Amino acid sequence: MSALLLMAPALLLLLVVFVWPLLDYAWLSLQAQSVFTGLEAVPVGTLNWQRLLVDGRFWQDAWQTLRFAAVSVALELVAGLAIALLLHQRWRGRGVVRGLALLPWALPTTVMALGWRWIFNDPYGPINGLLQLLGLATLPFLAAPELAWLATVVADVWKTTPFVALLLLAGLQMIPDDLYEAFALEGGTPWQGLWRITLPLLRPYIFIVLLFRLAQALGVFDLIAVLTGGGPASSTESLALYAYLNAMRFLDFGYSATVMLGMFLLLLAGAGGLLLWRRQTDAPQEVRP
Amino acid sequence: MKAGTRTGLVALLLLWSLGPMLWQLYTSLRTPEALLAGAGGLAGGWTLANYGAVLGSDPPFWRYLLNSTVVGALSTLLTLALAIPCAYALSRRGGLLRLLVGGGLLAAAVFPYVLLFLALLQVARQLGLANNLLALCLPYAGLQLPLAVLLLQAAFAELPPELEESALLEGFSLWQRLRWILLPLMGPAVVSTGLLVFLFSWNEFPIALTWISRSELLTLAPAMARIAGSSVYTVPYGAFAAATVLGSVPLLALLLLFQRQIVAGLTQGAIKG
Repeated sequence: MSALLLMAPALLLLLVVFVWPLLDYAWLSLQAQSVFTGLEAVPVGTLNWQRLLVDGRFWQDAWQTLRFAAVSVALELVAGLAIALLLHQRWRGRGVVRGLALLPWALPTTVMALGWRWIFNDPYGPINGLLQLLGLATLPFLAAPELAWLATVVADVWKTTPFVALLLLAGLQMIPDDLYEAFALEGGTPWQGLWRITLPLLRPYIFIVLLFRLAQALGVFDLIAVLTGGGPASSTESLALYAYLNAMRFLDFGYSATVMLGMFLLLLAGAGGLLLWRRQTDAPQEVRP
Repeated sequence: MKAGTRTGLVALLLLWSLGPMLWQLYTSLRTPEALLAGAGGLAGGWTLANYGAVLGSDPPFWRYLLNSTVVGALSTLLTLALAIPCAYALSRRGGLLRLLVGGGLLAAAVFPYVLLFLALLQVARQLGLANNLLALCLPYAGLQLPLAVLLLQAAFAELPPELEESALLEGFSLWQRLRWILLPLMGPAVVSTGLLVFLFSWNEFPIALTWISRSELLTLAPAMARIAGSSVYTVPYGAFAAATVLGSVPLLALLLLFQRQIVAGLTQGAIKG
């Protein structure tokens, strides 16, 4: 009983911050609350949900968000693993480099997004400066849809790879060295060791990284809001940004709640799929050192 | 791996990690004319005027840093005050309760919180918390509680139970056991958890953006977005860059001072989460 008492304040705040909003959205998604109703909530049944199903912008944004998340997180996993392997070796100054390499992750996203906007500037940014130096034409990074998308991926990979690298580094430290020594004695090359020892044993860590990073990347907001504002022509817009615009710019609160809840349901389906995949692939070959 | 190859790779890593920030530093020290003349020039055109412009604006830039620091510190204290008892109780319980609460906490820790901003904004309006800097601590503490409880309960679970049993025999109350026996042993876990909460609160954007509209109450993240969206600072971005540098320096200091604790906090999360 006293255990529940100790947990009560924290659980109460958690209910207010996490559960209450979702219930509120469920109610709000069945109302019209916009400038047309004088910002009063009017029950409209499933009208918002019907609109969501045929809202091209919602599905377009869902696809864009998924594409952004899948490509960014895949790149972050590969780069993060390479960095983790480098930081795992013993050399002088490793501690300081670990701290410095973490800087992109620690900075506020809006701060670094503003920085990247300047780096991608056409024609005064350093990348276009370099292109000009090579005698090439400058590229309108933030004005062309595909280039703007690339810019958001680059900035996201820059910012979150340190986080991925650090979690994978924690996993590398749990693998005993003698496994590699025995493998080398039997004639295995380091490259084979990476595939046969490191990656299989790193699996639980890769799973956690995927879980955290995919959830964060699918909810991407700050980066896109500041770097491209969702443009050009909403080609980089994410679902979270669309929900935000519906509420704060179009003042359509009922539909904004529907977009949020729709996104939540998509995430839930994705998480369920991920868990199922993990159960299927993990069960027979769980290796514990 | 050969030492030479490794040095090259480390240099590459540092260039990739720090390059964009060094470019901001360079930009912040150049005059507009020098920036327009071409990227990367080193001759002439150095100035501190960009910093003067940012610090002399209304409200001055240090105000945002101060606001973020205040909110970050208070949110950290509130989170720890709520998370420590909860984590303790969770670590001393087994069975269904622990499974349910633990699973719920993990799901909440992963949840992309940006989805919650609209409902939280309505709470703020109803309770009259809009444009109240200190009220930001409530959602921040709530959002960071799941991770904080998970990290702290892992640390509690590592303490040997005999410690507490003997204190119990001595007649120590729950509060005395926590205060004098358990918490002193949890210093590293509390510090690293606190740092992660502080970093989150300092950097948080969507909630601060929607709760605060008065410019002198803005925290750093929405202030940066507002600077980005305003035409007060014109291209080229000398003043932008000065703002990003000023906004980064406190975090760079924090990172270099507490690198070990932050890394420990993150990796603990990986192992236990």
